[in-house]
Amino acid sequence: MKQNEMLAMILAGGRGSRLHDLTNKVAKPAVSYGGKYRIIDFPLSNCANSGISTVGVLTQYESVLLGSYAAKSGLWGLDTKDSGVYVLPPREKADSDLDVYRGTADAITQNIDFIDNYDPEYLLVLSGDHIYKMNYDKMLAYHKAQNAAATIAVMPVTLEEATRFGIMITDEDNKIIDFEEKPAHPRSTLASMGIYVFDWAKLRALLIKDKDDENSSHDFGNDIIPALLNGGEKLVAFKFEGYWKDVGTIDSLWEANMDLLDENNELNLNDPTWRIYTEDAAPLPAYIGPDAEIGAAYITQGTRVEGEVKNSVIFTGAEVGKGAHIIDSVLMPGVKVAEGATVTRALIANDIKVSKDAVVGSADSKEILLVAQDV
Amino acid sequence: MAKAFGIITSSADKKVAGLQEYRSIGAFSFLGRYRVIDFPISNFSNSNINNIQVYIASMPRSMVEHIGTGRHYNINSKRGKIQILFPDQTMANEVYNTNIKNFRRNIEQIKKMEKEYVVIAPSCMIFAQDYDALLQDHAQSGSDITLLYHKVTDAKKGYATCNVLDLDGNRVKGISACLSDKDEENIFMESYVMKTELLYSLIEKAAAVSSIYSLSDIVNAELKNMDVRAVEHKGFFAPITSLRTYLKANIDLINPENSDDLFKKDWPIYTRTTDACPTQYYATTSVKNSLISNGCLIKGTVENSVIGRGAVIEEGAVVKNCVISAYDKIGKGAVLENQVVDKYATINDGTKVIAPAATPGYIKYRDKL
Repeated sequence: MKQNEMLAMILAGGRGSRLHDLTNKVAKPAVSYGGKYRIIDFPLSNCANSGISTVGVLTQYESVLLGSYAAKSGLWGLDTKDSGVYVLPPREKADSDLDVYRGTADAITQNIDFIDNYDPEYLLVLSGDHIYKMNYDKMLAYHKAQNAAATIAVMPVTLEEATRFGIMITDEDNKIIDFEEKPAHPRSTLASMGIYVFDWAKLRALLIKDKDDENSSHDFGNDIIPALLNGGEKLVAFKFEGYWKDVGTIDSLWEANMDLLDENNELNLNDPTWRIYTEDAAPLPAYIGPDAEIGAAYITQGTRVEGEVKNSVIFTGAEVGKGAHIIDSVLMPGVKVAEGATVTRALIANDIKVSKDAVVGSADSKEILLVAQDV
Repeated sequence: MAKAFGIITSSADKKVAGLQEYRSIGAFSFLGRYRVIDFPISNFSNSNINNIQVYIASMPRSMVEHIGTGRHYNINSKRGKIQILFPDQTMANEVYNTNIKNFRRNIEQIKKMEKEYVVIAPSCMIFAQDYDALLQDHAQSGSDITLLYHKVTDAKKGYATCNVLDLDGNRVKGISACLSDKDEENIFMESYVMKTELLYSLIEKAAAVSSIYSLSDIVNAELKNMDVRAVEHKGFFAPITSLRTYLKANIDLINPENSDDLFKKDWPIYTRTTDACPTQYYATTSVKNSLISNGCLIKGTVENSVIGRGAVIEEGAVVKNCVISAYDKIGKGAVLENQVVDKYATINDGTKVIAPAATPGYIKYRDKL
């Protein structure tokens, strides 16, 4: 890709309130995943691996940790000349007062000046809280070949799931002819992944019009995509096949971690051609003690395991004491489980301590237990 | 910022069978994800010594690739730098390839440093040391040179090619090869603190006296003219001087009592990350008392071993008292005991390689057996 032919903007302002106490102090894109990653590592690594050099990260909710993390451009190799990761919270300007981002589209509108600095031909809009690997350069090539005004990445879902997504209705040439947000009776099973390539000039004009529209919620799904369709612009669907997960709830975050226990899982983090980059905390390799019992597990460096770990994911800095049992569970970074404790079907939040002989969670529970306070 | 610059010497005088045919000791993998050189460089970086010269006697590729710009060692990118320095030519007769010769070849680089003091550390020994504290002790003591040593009680084994200090209190009376039949010795850690000016004059004197003098030889020869003191190092210490000591140092550090002593929260050991994902374990896995790096697939049995990044241990394989290096593949039902397996090696299904603990085996780089 030519430098700055396409600029990426990552929407990372949401709280993810269905993750409850996990997002009390951090925004959802900063939530830990897969032993050593944060969710935002996925879109950022995808950008770096797709040859995109400039990425804006639009933050709003609890943005201090997320902002300082995303600003370390070098973690993802986005620190060469004229490239970088720019953290963009709402700001006061000479001609307008400080205002929150009123919607996903408004977040872009408020940063038109930033985007104009790079004068890109195309704008890639991404969500900061999805787990997947995708080559955006291929999506751009498709966008150009189709000569579209906008290209939307879609993936096939079940009819039941379709009721929870923005659904694209397409013709045989993948041209989008209609769009429905969370339909009760879906006419298609192609769900929008919240990944858009736009012709920047066309989107820019539309955003300026949308800005002062009092009937608009300033949202890509609700307002911008319908406006493009109604304006007769060509919108196409780019079909994605592979692993993609929006981890909106504790159950789905747990499940996305458990997916990694299958050696042949579609996400395949062990792919040397498409690495997911993250912060390196300079820890020792994982210490597995003399009395440890390890079954199917996904364990990262910087951990200490002296008890039993079965069907579980153990994150950086977590410790499992002697005689402790970790079954079907996720231990987030820095969790300390003392000797003799038992953790079953639970997700233990960052830095939580589980005391000696404590029993947490149960094998029969329908939902996954979130533990966000010391027990 | 410290008033000193750092020098890391090459280890051409040490011989580790096998591994050293491919790279210098500093570039050996260590404890799964590190290289031996990470320890002296991190010691300098943590001691606020931001100007570091690494001397390499031969086979630079692996060392240069690993050190790179040095950014991962947390060295200030504007006010500090790491230089990698070569001797330009090596002599066929190895007795000539001394660190003094290497310094003389690069004397202009040493002069450019413009620091009052120099701290010299070896590239073949594993330990943590606050050189800033040592530098302050040295400056206060008023002595000419301060040396670092470690008291051992097993001097008869494992310290071949090391030197020992003959001490009277903290005064150094002699530096000599560790040939003793005593158990207790003061192993010289090849670490020096002195004024940069003194280093220049020692380099010149050494060259004037003998072409095969190393820095420790000239310091020993000049002991009667100088005030040379020694400071005892406490904590984990492992010189990498043979295949056996290399394996032992790795396996000793599995024990958290040892690793807690070497890896402290306020004294990080930096290395280059490869962005490997976490390690996958299976229902068939049995792992006891081991250190496992990231990016591995572990289906078999691992005991008392250190496993490098991206290694694969297949179902039914048994690995005991081994160092398995990065990207090794240990086939189904293979059995390895007391082996150091170099990188990218493949052990075929069912192959058994067992050595006694006292004389561990070495399996070559990229070998298949």
